[in-house]
Amino acid sequence: MEELIYKLKEQIIDALNLEEITPEDIDDNAPLFGDGLGLDSIDALELIVILDKHYGIKIANPADGKAIFSSVAAIADYVSKNRSK
Amino acid sequence: MEIAITGAGIICAIGNDKQQVLESLRKGESGIGTMKYLSSKHLELPVGEVKLSNAEMAAMLSLDADYPHSRTSLMGAIAVRQALAQAGFSPDGTHWKGLEGKKVVLISGTTVGGMDITEQYFERMKTDDSLLYLPQSNECGKSTVEIAQMSGLQAECCTISTACSSALNSIMLGCEMLRRGEADVVIAGGSEAMSKFHLNGFNTLMILDRERCRPFDDTRAGLNLGEGAAFVVLRRDSDIGAEEGKNGVAEALSGGNVLAYIGGYGNRCDAFHQTATSENGEGAFLAMTDALNMAGLQASDIQYVNAHGTGTPNNDITESRALQRVFGETMPAISSTKSFTGHTTSASGSIETVICLLAMQHGFIPGNLGWKHRIEGGITPTLGSEGVQLNNVVCNSFGFGGNDSSLVLCAEKLHSFAGPSGNFGVKEKARAVVDSVEELPALKEFVSPMESRRMGKLMKAAHLSAFRALQQAGIDCPDAIITATSRGMLEISQQFLDDIVSNDEELLKPTLFMQSTHNTVSSSIAIRRHCHGYNITYSQGDQSLEWALRDARRLISTGKAGNVLVVSFDESTPYFESFARRAGETLPPEVRAESIVLERM
Repeated sequence: MEELIYKLKEQIIDALNLEEITPEDIDDNAPLFGDGLGLDSIDALELIVILDKHYGIKIANPADGKAIFSSVAAIADYVSKNRSK
Repeated sequence: MEIAITGAGIICAIGNDKQQVLESLRKGESGIGTMKYLSSKHLELPVGEVKLSNAEMAAMLSLDADYPHSRTSLMGAIAVRQALAQAGFSPDGTHWKGLEGKKVVLISGTTVGGMDITEQYFERMKTDDSLLYLPQSNECGKSTVEIAQMSGLQAECCTISTACSSALNSIMLGCEMLRRGEADVVIAGGSEAMSKFHLNGFNTLMILDRERCRPFDDTRAGLNLGEGAAFVVLRRDSDIGAEEGKNGVAEALSGGNVLAYIGGYGNRCDAFHQTATSENGEGAFLAMTDALNMAGLQASDIQYVNAHGTGTPNNDITESRALQRVFGETMPAISSTKSFTGHTTSASGSIETVICLLAMQHGFIPGNLGWKHRIEGGITPTLGSEGVQLNNVVCNSFGFGGNDSSLVLCAEKLHSFAGPSGNFGVKEKARAVVDSVEELPALKEFVSPMESRRMGKLMKAAHLSAFRALQQAGIDCPDAIITATSRGMLEISQQFLDDIVSNDEELLKPTLFMQSTHNTVSSSIAIRRHCHGYNITYSQGDQSLEWALRDARRLISTGKAGNVLVVSFDESTPYFESFARRAGETLPPEVRAESIVLERM
């Protein structure tokens, strides 16, 4: 799980152009949206692309993303249970 | 002085002219269906295409069918010709009888311009020197020039590119130019062809419905992309009376000249988000309020609203709230005709204006197809009615970046019209230029790295020059923001085209598409400075800045704004540089942005 969490952080930093942030800066359990990292609705769409591209997970309704993307740990948990690649 | 509409032309998914569109509207027949003309793999997405091939449209215009004409230009020319003919002008080879000696201006709204051709030839253009004429001919501004040429129209050309509100903003500009004597006859509207570029773009935003769209329905799941063009001929009523000896709507209804009067209009910025609208529809509320105030009308004077109503979860609830704020207990009949045409993006403002004209002339209200379930807290749209008298109608048109516009059409002249009449002097207060990428790290002074992380070099340069100019002028939030660009967001758009090619239209980046429109800069500045004022983007080749400055001076001299920020910006990429190199032209600058603050003397 540690490895997956680190990989996800790298993919998020790359896809979201978080230029000045390193994986170490992102707390596994901190909220990604709103008060935490401060991501927005477009970032949520980018996260949906990451899950599809790298893990073969399709999220058809962007509204479903809210619960899945609450933190990096939550994403890792969802990915490990649902990945097809 | 009143501005009258004396001619109208339309081509869209439900008809190639006004008569066909009228019949489809009255029969409740949608034009949304399976993709036939656009070459995209996304056949699962229903679309509202014009039911003609490019070759068929070229034949209608007596053009060479082998030349790669953009559908944007072809559809535009078809609609312009219809509008001019109805306004009493007749084609005579390379000009139109009746327009001689008049200052004629063609104003078109478009965002993708000739993107349908660019994307077809995107790979071939890299090596084929016989296609070197294409990159330039597919700019937004060039598509308007082409529409004039294809229509045999001699006119000054202007292009407005504010995404999906472009065509309505074109009509507003036309009215302002007529009022100020800058034009005698204006043909205004918009044209936009479907392209893989924006079909895939909207798809990345996950706002395309896999079923036929259901605006204002609780089960709505997005929009269907459409295409089309519509133009209206605008005249000063005093000119019509003097020349044609006709006056008033009574005669218009029996075949005379005036189809309707433009009662008022408003353009505001929601200043909230690039691709989402604020919770209570602030920009939409302000635009409708401005339009009603300008017309001197009360909410209760309006019988029908043609809503923007895209069918996306976000738009329909926030537009509902804005409508409730404006109309309260006196809610007029409301429908979104995007359920017939699909969302015709930059052309939607004029397409829906012409639909409103048809409704007013023929006494019916088009229904909101597919509506069954009310959204909690949403408006209840009409399913259509016949035998109604429509005196005053509102047409809404909202675009990316929260560019919100609203138009009031009136059957009778409004004697209560009281526009700004001042004649204030204008002076330059500040100016700042950014013309190298080395300067861009200085943007940190104004924008946090978290906020600027998605910006390409052009966005950064434009913001840096704008914020420096505003700082010099001692202004935090200008009254209006007007931008000017010849080619717009080249780097980002090219990355998105590359993404479409290399990933075969799958799993593309929404971040690229959301900042690909020409008005990305004007709305992004507005969002950062919370500017809800007038927000317009011109794209007319090397005349773009001149058009922007003209508008800024007009706003200030008429008292509509005390100060205006004007930002001109353009960039190049290695891909586009290679065309200039191969054609032996001067290489365009890598990036250049110039911001000017004008204010009342």
